[in-house]
Amino acid sequence: MSTTAGASLRPLAQSLKALTLRPIQRRAVTDYASLRDNLPRKVGMFGQKKVFHSPQADEPRRHIKIHAPLPAPASKTPIESLTSLQLATLDPTGAKQKMFSRHNPDSVKVGDILQVRRKNGEQPFAGVVINIRRRGVDSAFLLRGQVTRIGVEVWFKLYSPLIEGIDLVQRTEKRKRRAKLFYLRKPEHDFGSVANIVGQYMRQRAILRGEGPKNGQQGQRGGKTGKKGGKKN
Amino acid sequence: MIQLKSMLNCIDNSGAAVVECVQVLKMKRAAKVGDRIVVVVQKQRNLAADLAGAAAAAQKVRRGDISHAVVVRTKKKYGRPDGSFVRFDDNACVLINKAGDPMGTRLNGAVAQELRGKQWSKILSLAPAFV
Repeated sequence: MSTTAGASLRPLAQSLKALTLRPIQRRAVTDYASLRDNLPRKVGMFGQKKVFHSPQADEPRRHIKIHAPLPAPASKTPIESLTSLQLATLDPTGAKQKMFSRHNPDSVKVGDILQVRRKNGEQPFAGVVINIRRRGVDSAFLLRGQVTRIGVEVWFKLYSPLIEGIDLVQRTEKRKRRAKLFYLRKPEHDFGSVANIVGQYMRQRAILRGEGPKNGQQGQRGGKTGKKGGKKN
Repeated sequence: MIQLKSMLNCIDNSGAAVVECVQVLKMKRAAKVGDRIVVVVQKQRNLAADLAGAAAAAQKVRRGDISHAVVVRTKKKYGRPDGSFVRFDDNACVLINKAGDPMGTRLNGAVAQELRGKQWSKILSLAPAFV
């Protein structure tokens, strides 16, 4: 700002006696060259602090109600604890968890043949496991089988209360090199019907449990016993 | 997901083998199991000329005929209320007349259970199996 501007402002400032104009007036006559050395390096941070002073800053602070901290969560991993809580009701024996656990060397792997018995009176569905989805209570597995020579794939929720039991009918001969066996959908890799293998397994199990083949049908209804029978084979 | 130009297998004994969807009825999106569609017969199961008199009479539709149909299997997986999902290896349908009764007298191949809640129980009872 030049001296002419300062001269024009001076009478106005005197008449108003405004405090706001005074720093400007003072600045107008400042020798910048000498001031530069005295000012802190960052003018924007320190030099202008008082000029842009908030009017409320000198007033006492408003009373802000400070709430007591919330009680600490029961565990540091709430989702995990919720999952274990839900599994305690959905899978009280832990048999299904163990059957699909990664840490269990005897767990179900892709390529195994499973049979799922349902509580709503539907036909049991059997097929090759082509995908396992491990997501806590939402865990599921994809079975591929055939019904009247038509390929059918069904996702089952592992912990669904509508599932009466899961039988491990046959293990895969060799460990599959893939986690998801979608190639089984191709005609050249299709496993075909598993009805023969399942039928053989059912007959064998009926003999092992000392039941006639006709009583074997009744024996299937026992949920947990059926599952254990599946694991032995 | 059955839409215009979708080719479906016809699994009844009405005489059609492969049909093409030309219209999905009562909807502005793709048809799924239990939905009614309009189809054109593209392939006949057996040519009527090759068959004997009684068998030829059983062939109710010929190539180029337009008919209504119900989708009974879809390749697109569909969810069930219990959280499970089902998909078939092919798209299939059953031809029906305007009243909704199946044209054929027997079906060969499984159908989806979803037909039950949608007035297609007659088709479901004809089917050898349902998933």
